[in-house]
Amino acid sequence: MMLALFGTAGVLAALTGGGLLAVRGIRVARGGKSDLIGPARLLAAGAIAAMAALEIALIADDFSLSYVANQHSTATPFPFDVATAWAALEGSIVLWGLVLAGFTWMAVRRYRKAPDSLAAGAVAVMGGVAVFFFGLILTVSNPFEVCTSALEVGCAQSSPFPWSTVAAPAQGPGPNPLLQNHYLMAVHPPVLYLGYVGMTVPFAYAISALALGVPGPEWIRRSHRSTLVAWSFLTLGIVLGGWWAYEVLSWGGYWAWDPVENASFMPWLAATAFIHSGLVQQRRQMLQAWNFVLVIAVFSLTILGTFLTRSGTINSVHSFTQSAIGPALLGFLVLVLVGSFSLFATRSNLVSTSPRVDSFVSREGSFLANNLLLTVYGFVVLVGTIYPLLLEAFTGDQTAVGEPFFNRLAVPLSFLLLLFMGLGPVLPWRGSPPGQLWARVRAPIALGLAAGVATALWVSPVGWVVLAVTFATYVTSGIVGLLLEQSRARSAKGGQSIWREMRRVVVNDQTFWAGQMSHIGVVVVVVGIAFAANLSHHDEVTLEPGDQTEFAGYSIVYESPFQVREPNRLVRGARVTVLRGDDFVASLEPRANFYGSDTTGVVTPAVLSRPWGDLYLTLRDIDSERVELVLDTSPLIWMIWLGGILTAGGGAWSVSSRRQERALVRQSLIADV
Amino acid sequence: MAHRRFVLFGIAGVVALVIGLTLTSLGDNLTYYLYPTEAIDQRADFGDGEPFRLAGTVVVGSLDDSGETLTFDVTDGGATIAVRLDGPPPSLFEEGVPVLLEGAWAGNSFIATEALIKHDENYETPEEGGAYDDQ
Repeated sequence: MMLALFGTAGVLAALTGGGLLAVRGIRVARGGKSDLIGPARLLAAGAIAAMAALEIALIADDFSLSYVANQHSTATPFPFDVATAWAALEGSIVLWGLVLAGFTWMAVRRYRKAPDSLAAGAVAVMGGVAVFFFGLILTVSNPFEVCTSALEVGCAQSSPFPWSTVAAPAQGPGPNPLLQNHYLMAVHPPVLYLGYVGMTVPFAYAISALALGVPGPEWIRRSHRSTLVAWSFLTLGIVLGGWWAYEVLSWGGYWAWDPVENASFMPWLAATAFIHSGLVQQRRQMLQAWNFVLVIAVFSLTILGTFLTRSGTINSVHSFTQSAIGPALLGFLVLVLVGSFSLFATRSNLVSTSPRVDSFVSREGSFLANNLLLTVYGFVVLVGTIYPLLLEAFTGDQTAVGEPFFNRLAVPLSFLLLLFMGLGPVLPWRGSPPGQLWARVRAPIALGLAAGVATALWVSPVGWVVLAVTFATYVTSGIVGLLLEQSRARSAKGGQSIWREMRRVVVNDQTFWAGQMSHIGVVVVVVGIAFAANLSHHDEVTLEPGDQTEFAGYSIVYESPFQVREPNRLVRGARVTVLRGDDFVASLEPRANFYGSDTTGVVTPAVLSRPWGDLYLTLRDIDSERVELVLDTSPLIWMIWLGGILTAGGGAWSVSSRRQERALVRQSLIADV
Repeated sequence: MAHRRFVLFGIAGVVALVIGLTLTSLGDNLTYYLYPTEAIDQRADFGDGEPFRLAGTVVVGSLDDSGETLTFDVTDGGATIAVRLDGPPPSLFEEGVPVLLEGAWAGNSFIATEALIKHDENYETPEEGGAYDDQ
């Protein structure tokens, strides 16, 4: 009861803080005077209090809160008790609010450094978004409801009033088995949310710029770092999600174009396009209107994603009405879209003076192609994701769009993107002197083709594998070639050795090279996907203890079954020894975990990782006499995780650039004069 | 200027092509989910061999693994359909589990090529919290 009161008070405080920020932010933006620091503190403190109350309740097994009673059990071990705070709907919206409060706090700090109307307006927008989300928590998604009617396990009825008479159950069912099966699931949601919610910042600056009529790329410049931070977390969150699926869901894959996955990928595509087109506007004053459209799209897609994953709509449109959260999020999405685009339509004077492209054979030309492709890509994923929902809403038929639909369109679009990824960085802004482009791409194309031929001859003649290696080599060698060219030029002009100059080249333009690091990360992912998807082996075997089977160069020996009772689960599994020739490689234990009352077990694969790829063993069935095992290999699958981390790391490295910060300050000083 | 117009037409062409491809591929790759009751109601719409996904629970006592392929019945509480599974059974497959089967009608029974166990949905659903959402 104490915690319910404390949490509810926190939510109320945050709601008040957000409301004050919205009202006062608008007042300040219009030239008035008002304090924004106080409400920002109130918002942050309230959000922290709410999260803390929820965490304490989970750790202390306080089943008087219905959320704890229905999502937690005394047997849930650390750190899954902590992670249960975002394992279900109500708690995850609290996490959303907390992250939003954090980003708002940072925006207010920036406002303090440069107090002008643009920043105040952005803070007001963020305050408004905070009001919506904390309003959700208070009304339709409240984890601080107290349990008023207990079941033997869990809670039957609850009340939003902390002073209601409490009837707490003695035990809860615990979180969804799939979520307590792997540590990655504890970190994946917060990381993803940092990405999702961070996209509020550029949106807020865009709306502020539109409403106030602030021209030029100032709003992009101000929100640039937040966008990159959010983008890096979003990238990392998507990769962690795929990794978790691979380690837990035991079908050997990591991505299935599932609506939940698409929900995170669509804003990523739009945000990636926005980062590139934002650069074009900063450098060439082009794409002013397009950038507003993109940033509104990014934010709307994060709300759409939240709606898709949090309203139950994916399972069936009919479950949409079971909780008021679906209509609330959908309403907010419509409000965002209609409001933003109406505002945009009334401010055409702001975007009417875009200069034209001098030449399409230029950096901006390749960025245009990149934006076109990313937008089309996003459109394809969006159609495939929401078409079944629309169909069900209108006809009542339940359908699914198969993976082949996505793959048929996504694969060619991805390779086209790689084509321009190789051209963009080697092209200068405005236009390239005749012959320069060819001089710079000649070697990368030759190297790419050579690598492709070598792969076909010695590794695998599978088309997608060859193509992936060709494009990866082409992109990477273009980047390396550019680095060598610039370092050599500096060295020849009386600088130091080429290696020392290389460091300087990178330090001098860290944001550019950080971007190239992300590019290399992307091609590493592409190679990983191509190998894992096309060169895997698969087999299914039934073994008795002592039996041995040969698979993909390994000898697999079934030793014995085992059974362990852990506090929160019963584990049944098989002890398997893996040999290569006669040499011992590893002992693996593919297993099935049975949680609480759930009689359907959750299968956990045993994964042996080696540089050339993973051996992936899944239990199909086991009894005292025999085991049925599914055997898979995933060649080079680690490249997907590594490439993803590199891609996100490029974004983070770009943010950490001090020079960039100084350059931005300089630019904005010039702009102010 | 001719150059610019050429590029713009190129862009419009690519966009039109992709939208066209998207819409045609969508039709080819759309599969329907049906519960046994719906599957029997709409038997006329789905001829033999026309793929759809059948969702239901494996009837206790119906599982027969004595033959070369697995056979069992699937129900949604209303109708029941006899199923022959030609593909591999999913992990921990047993009677009473909720399943999602990919396959098609063959006369009065459903021939499944793929089977998945449907876990009690993923964590996103609000129903998962159970009673307290329906207060």
